[in-house]
Amino acid sequence: MQSAAKIIRAYVKYVDYFSVKAGRVAMYAIFLMIGTLLLGAISRNIINLPLSWTVELAQFTITAYYLVGGAYSLQQGAHVRMDLIYARFSERTKAKWDSVTSACLLGYLVCLLIGSISSTMYAIEYGQRKFSQWNPSLIPIKVIMVAGIILMLLQAISVLFKDIAKARGVNLTAEKS
Amino acid sequence: MSYEAIAILMFAAMLLLMLTGQRVFAVIGFVAASAALLLYGEGAIEMPFNAAFKLFNWYPLLTLPLFIYMGYILSESGIADDLYRMFHVWFGGLKGGLAVGTIGLMIVISAMNGLSVAGMAIGASIALPEMLRRGYDKIMITGVVQAGSSLGILVPPSVVLVLYGMIARQPVSKLWLAGVFPGLMMAALFIIYIVVRCKLQPHLGPAVSFEERDMPLTEKLKLLRAGIIPFLIFFLMTGLFVLGITSLVESSAVGATAATLAALVKRRLNKQVMEETMRKTLHISCMFMWIILAALCFGAVFDGIGAVRAIESLFITKWDLTPWQVLIMMQLSYLFMGTFLDDTAMLVIVAPLYVPLVIVLGFDPIWYGILYTITCQIAYMTPPFGYNLFLMRAMAPPEISIIDIYKSIIPFVLVMTFALILVMAFPQIALWLPAQF
Repeated sequence: MQSAAKIIRAYVKYVDYFSVKAGRVAMYAIFLMIGTLLLGAISRNIINLPLSWTVELAQFTITAYYLVGGAYSLQQGAHVRMDLIYARFSERTKAKWDSVTSACLLGYLVCLLIGSISSTMYAIEYGQRKFSQWNPSLIPIKVIMVAGIILMLLQAISVLFKDIAKARGVNLTAEKS
Repeated sequence: MSYEAIAILMFAAMLLLMLTGQRVFAVIGFVAASAALLLYGEGAIEMPFNAAFKLFNWYPLLTLPLFIYMGYILSESGIADDLYRMFHVWFGGLKGGLAVGTIGLMIVISAMNGLSVAGMAIGASIALPEMLRRGYDKIMITGVVQAGSSLGILVPPSVVLVLYGMIARQPVSKLWLAGVFPGLMMAALFIIYIVVRCKLQPHLGPAVSFEERDMPLTEKLKLLRAGIIPFLIFFLMTGLFVLGITSLVESSAVGATAATLAALVKRRLNKQVMEETMRKTLHISCMFMWIILAALCFGAVFDGIGAVRAIESLFITKWDLTPWQVLIMMQLSYLFMGTFLDDTAMLVIVAPLYVPLVIVLGFDPIWYGILYTITCQIAYMTPPFGYNLFLMRAMAPPEISIIDIYKSIIPFVLVMTFALILVMAFPQIALWLPAQF
């Protein structure tokens, strides 16, 4: 039992750490979006050179942004809930409910993951490209999407561990979280 | 099982799971994925991820994180403080003048941002404490900030109208122009309400003493300079877009850059502000994007079971309603769903069902977009599920309780409903301006 607890503690620690790191990288992508779009606007209007790829690059960026950043925002509790009843619960009751209903979260993420893997396999097998003037390969973004969804799933499990512990009155992150 | 029964079952399951307090996106995604698997078998397991590619192609949504970023930069940059001071001096002498000034401030913020979050943050952190200190009635001013900030999605730019434009396949520039007069009219109605109420009950909004406002006219005029930066940002963003110089997503990048530069010029941009802005932008964007992702899957399942035709036959064949009755039924159903579903999800799930019907009935889809947005504003503010209520609770000073917040919205919801009826009765209010271009 002791070692199982140890493994869970380590899992929570590393997954949380990694989500934060990935989220902080994603955070900066906002400047990539602003910069690319601005570049497109400037080069078309000022030096009269329309760039066909700027909006597409920004599309790729926002997709990576919310999928890779998702785990960090999940960890920080940024996803909105309907808290009509939930808000009145004690912290411990909240954790109990969450432990049960996180089946929804996990189920949905597993479906997303299966879909993303099969879609990526397809892209790799057929060298799928986005049909446009720029015609970029879709493989990199799909791999990033799979990675983001995996991280989200790992983070959801970490949150579940923390909720179960809290429901039983144990604190998994004894130091500061 | 009939398709109607499946649809009702899906909504009922969603409502029930939402009540447990699980994250909204997880509930919507789970119900959608389960329904897909039950209806179509194993092959449907890819449906949730297919929504991610639909979302990928909805590139106008790039405006969402950019507006969120811009909102946070604006609230940190001190532009809002200057604006507030301007309204304070110019309107303070009136009974309820600070509340009127706050509505003015909210219009200016709305013209620079496409969400209501920005106005909310600025109103709660700058205007509310000032008005409380001057003995304004806390219930009234809480309502003022909430109602005022909701103008953010009606006055252009507006993210809600971008989303509507994508679903209804209508040009965003026309939708934005259509929002101008309804937005200004609603602001005017708010001001009339405040002035009349404060005339009848002067203790709700005492006038600021003359000594405090007293300054030479030149000083007073100098304060008007606070309006320059917002005007520039508005022109660079919405102006360039409506004139066709920048595309929609480019204009939001221009706006974000302009706001950052303004903060830089005002020497308010430091490492901590940037850090906070980036982090909050990521969190709020992720929240919205994951909800839209899940709702798209839900919508796809709905589409698959032929919900559009089911609703059409229910409203037109079975109940034999006139077009106007159908329209009113739709608005009522939005208000009902708004109590348990968030607005973004509601738009993604329900608008694809309603918009074709609206067009079949001979209504203008641009006008309907404005009606939807006003309904959305009302839904934003009505308990139990309103973003503004959540945000207000998080941002307001501690002496304002949740009960105060609930009480405060009642008169403003009535005013907004009145505005909705006006726009329904006189579509020209929305449609005149886009027709000029």
